[in-house]
Amino acid sequence: MKKASRKNRKPKIGGKILFPVVIIIYLLLYNSAPEKTLEALNKSLSIITHLLPIFVAVIVIMGLITALLQVKNFAGLLGKQSGIKGWSIGIIGGILSHGSSLIWYQMLADLREHDVRDSLIVTFLYTRAIKLPWLPLMISYFGFTFTVLLTVYIIFGAIIQGIIMDKISSGKQYD
Amino acid sequence: MDQQAFIQAFFKSLKGFLFNLPLLLSVILLTGLFEVFITPKMLSSLFSGNTFLDTLTGTIVGGASVGQPFVSYLIGGELLDDGMSFYAVTAFILSWVTLGIVQLPYEYRLFGARFTLTRNLLAFIFALLIAITTVQSLVWFK
Repeated sequence: MKKASRKNRKPKIGGKILFPVVIIIYLLLYNSAPEKTLEALNKSLSIITHLLPIFVAVIVIMGLITALLQVKNFAGLLGKQSGIKGWSIGIIGGILSHGSSLIWYQMLADLREHDVRDSLIVTFLYTRAIKLPWLPLMISYFGFTFTVLLTVYIIFGAIIQGIIMDKISSGKQYD
Repeated sequence: MDQQAFIQAFFKSLKGFLFNLPLLLSVILLTGLFEVFITPKMLSSLFSGNTFLDTLTGTIVGGASVGQPFVSYLIGGELLDDGMSFYAVTAFILSWVTLGIVQLPYEYRLFGARFTLTRNLLAFIFALLIAITTVQSLVWFK
């Protein structure tokens, strides 16, 4: 029997329900705390303005990646047989990635459609906890040893979670 | 480069993005609300002083919080100054960046229920485990 693709099995519930709910929450809050609600709206708008160009870049990059790499190459780099190379890309990619995870979710979901392993996505998302630009601040607050230990354990933790995800996913590739 | 493949992939990604836009906007609007209405002082008040409970609370509060990572360091630093356990603070700053309760609907939409549930459950458990391991190791190194 033909397997259903991940794309076709996406959940039906989405923004059509949540968006009106959020608008109602805003309206209710505006009644009781108009200034704070407007401040929240302004914050949200500034996030949107900040993220929008990055989303455009992500869409273009995804187009480029897909055009440059054939599906079989995706599988070779980040698929089931990717081995250490795949893990390395997942870990280093997560550490180097910046910005809101909302941007990365879109890209990772696209990559997942190209048979990128769930374990590598989990590893990528967890190693994002290592924020290179903020490490000096972390050291100043919590000390050098703490920062090094936490960073090392995050990497180990990310790999273990990826392995667990692999075990869980094996045989049940699609949601 | 295959130009046709690029155009196809570009429009496919664009279509996916536009389809998910209402949900994305919802999550961003919730983030704005959270950042304004939930203050660091309110978060600090949730801790009781019990190491075990505070570690658990730290993980949950960190997971429910949104904002730049440095905010979690500032709050964590204040909590440490107030005598909070290092376990709780570590769990808090770790789950701040690894768990995203506000982003759950978007993650669920893109990756499905099983992936989202498993990933967040693993991230929750590992926030606790890594917090304990890090602080224990810190004791050994001192």
